[in-house]
Amino acid sequence: MGTITINPVTRISGFLEITAEVKENKIINAESKGLLFRGFEKMLQGRHPLDAIYFTERICGICSAAHSIASSLALENCLKVFPDENDKMLRDFLHGSEIIQNHIRHFYQYTIPDFVYGSQINSVYTVQHNDFRLPEKINIKITGHYIDSLKYSRLSHKMLAILGGKAPHNHGVFVGGVTVNIDASKIIELKSILNAIKEFVENTMIQDVYTIADYYKDYFKNGFGYENLMSYGLFDSYKDKEMFYLKPGIMINGKNHKFDPSKINENIYFAWYKSNKVEKNPMEDTVDENVDKNNGYSWIKAPRYDGYPMEVGPLARMWLCGDYKNGISTMDRTIARVLEVKKIIGIMENIIQRVVIKKTSQKILDIPMEAVGKGLVDTSRGALGHWVSIENKTIKNYEIITPSVWNLSPKDSNGLFGVVEKALIGTEINDIKNPVEIGRIVRSFDPCVSCAAHVINNNLSKIEIRLI
Amino acid sequence: MSINNTECKYSHSKNRMAKIIIKDSIKSLDKKEGKKIKLIWLEAAGCSGNIISLLNAESPDLKYFLENMVKLVYSNSLMRLEGEAAFEQFMDTLSDEYILVVEGAVSTKSNGMYNIIAKYEEKWVTGMEAVKLAGERAKYILAVGTCASFGGISSARPNPSGSLSVKEFIKKEVINIPGCPANPQWVIGTIAYILSFGKPELDDKGRPIMFYGITIHDRCTRRSYFDKGIFAKKLGDEECLFKLGCRGPVTKTDCPIRRWNSSINWPVGDNSPCIGCAQEKFPDGMEPFVKY
Repeated sequence: MGTITINPVTRISGFLEITAEVKENKIINAESKGLLFRGFEKMLQGRHPLDAIYFTERICGICSAAHSIASSLALENCLKVFPDENDKMLRDFLHGSEIIQNHIRHFYQYTIPDFVYGSQINSVYTVQHNDFRLPEKINIKITGHYIDSLKYSRLSHKMLAILGGKAPHNHGVFVGGVTVNIDASKIIELKSILNAIKEFVENTMIQDVYTIADYYKDYFKNGFGYENLMSYGLFDSYKDKEMFYLKPGIMINGKNHKFDPSKINENIYFAWYKSNKVEKNPMEDTVDENVDKNNGYSWIKAPRYDGYPMEVGPLARMWLCGDYKNGISTMDRTIARVLEVKKIIGIMENIIQRVVIKKTSQKILDIPMEAVGKGLVDTSRGALGHWVSIENKTIKNYEIITPSVWNLSPKDSNGLFGVVEKALIGTEINDIKNPVEIGRIVRSFDPCVSCAAHVINNNLSKIEIRLI
Repeated sequence: MSINNTECKYSHSKNRMAKIIIKDSIKSLDKKEGKKIKLIWLEAAGCSGNIISLLNAESPDLKYFLENMVKLVYSNSLMRLEGEAAFEQFMDTLSDEYILVVEGAVSTKSNGMYNIIAKYEEKWVTGMEAVKLAGERAKYILAVGTCASFGGISSARPNPSGSLSVKEFIKKEVINIPGCPANPQWVIGTIAYILSFGKPELDDKGRPIMFYGITIHDRCTRRSYFDKGIFAKKLGDEECLFKLGCRGPVTKTDCPIRRWNSSINWPVGDNSPCIGCAQEKFPDGMEPFVKY
């Protein structure tokens, strides 16, 4: 019996520690602790509601447009603004650009170094284990693709910047849609860039993921998790099937259910917070922290849907919409993410085909004295929710539940493990000195701790806990 | 002339040729590597968006930057190593000559426990400790992004994590490259200058004058509208955004001419105001971002 600690879990966004108790080479207990405290929800209180869009983007460097979109949706809900169809399509195209960027980077820069021996051009590529199984020729080829991919993720952000001014942290996404005035030159530029990315994805990236899957077949047999899946829906406001991805959906114990946002609660039993109740709705006031809590081991709260820990992300989406049914495992998660890039490119092609040339429908916005709103949308890593309440024309409360909070959560008061914890438990570790399985399983979820650990209230003077 | 004389002198070893060439290239790479200065890219309390912005660099791109300019030894986002072995590479570098890049603010509340970046020899390493350790010995310290340069979003009121800028914390000379995120050309350009000529000329806020010498307003493409008093009434309008709260007049960067993402666009080009993301008072002193 021993405990394995991995910190830093590199090649993710932000800081994460994983501890795993191992008995006879099998993980019997795991804790996922991802903590970097900045306290966005506290910072947002008292600010001008419209500032939330550019402010919350700064939660995350790799999926910032996602936050601008969720924030805009929440504010549109408050302000009773309904975006013009053309502007909404452009915002969706911008969102697609970010997802493609994220998935290409996650696959090549974050995942590939786990499986491919690769480049030695710099010390950042030093290896520490020898479970690299690809023949030399294929190794060299995929290493070349690692370098090639830099161009295509950069181009994805270039598309985002054409519509949003810059990336990361765009300016174009706003209440009412976008700020860009689309024209023929921009449209053809977007089409041509998208086409170049499509060629790379279809001719290179998809082959690469299947090649890796071939040599690492055992990764279809670990990292299962609960197999409970959730999506808030993505590109789902269109009647036109060619622009449509999926409606909000839930799968629990193999059965599909209708999504009901009122069933989302946050459990704080194993998180460093105090409240008169152990579980609360995101619309209620933010809870206070309690670092002396004996059973606390994470700053991430445990969100649950109707009491269930839910896996979110590309595999959940691809499964729920029926496009991918091979299985739910480490490798399936990675394959589904790559296949989703192709799917989203197809949707974007259809969106840009239908966009008409006209000016943005931005309007002068009036902030109500009081209002509440929510913005729920699926993004790169899964289901993202922003909840906002306005009082005296300023933000009274702001609550954010990111996809990585769903996936990286600690246990709840019913003793149910978080999704990543559950995916680790039961895993056979081949070489206890080089537990490569842990990093590979955790990375298949594309954790973003910058996003997950944004929540903090105030003053932690008595802190003695060891957090990360 | 005998046939033997025209034979390739390496023919006897042709079966081993590939191996020899590989060995030679590794040797020459090692030599090249040896000449390059080491670079630690330390992510602290922030969004890790500056390393993403670096990946967006085009000319030079990340490949050129790593192959020809610096020897990157530590990066939470990019390095293959994980766990303690990863952090050992950080520690091993401290006895050598290196450039330290910090992105994100230094979170000081509760002795830095708001931002732990590694576990080393059974102990937690805070972002604060890492900045101190590496900052004391670094040949140059670059604070990349507004959080590292001035505190930025991470120190927005009520500053729950007690975040400070790198300079406030370390009290040494720091080259500030603000921007949220920093434009990759500002970062690579500054490092290129250092490699060729040493420290670039800095202004009183520690910023390289070559990128931060002139306000956005002075070179704005919509300046003629301002001069004629023609103002945008809402986002999406194509006139001067000053009355909607544009911070171009108080923000010094070369955004209007350099632009972003392979120079394709910039916020004002997208009909939205500059929010002063590279300004030392960002975000609290730059709000509201959009004024109706």
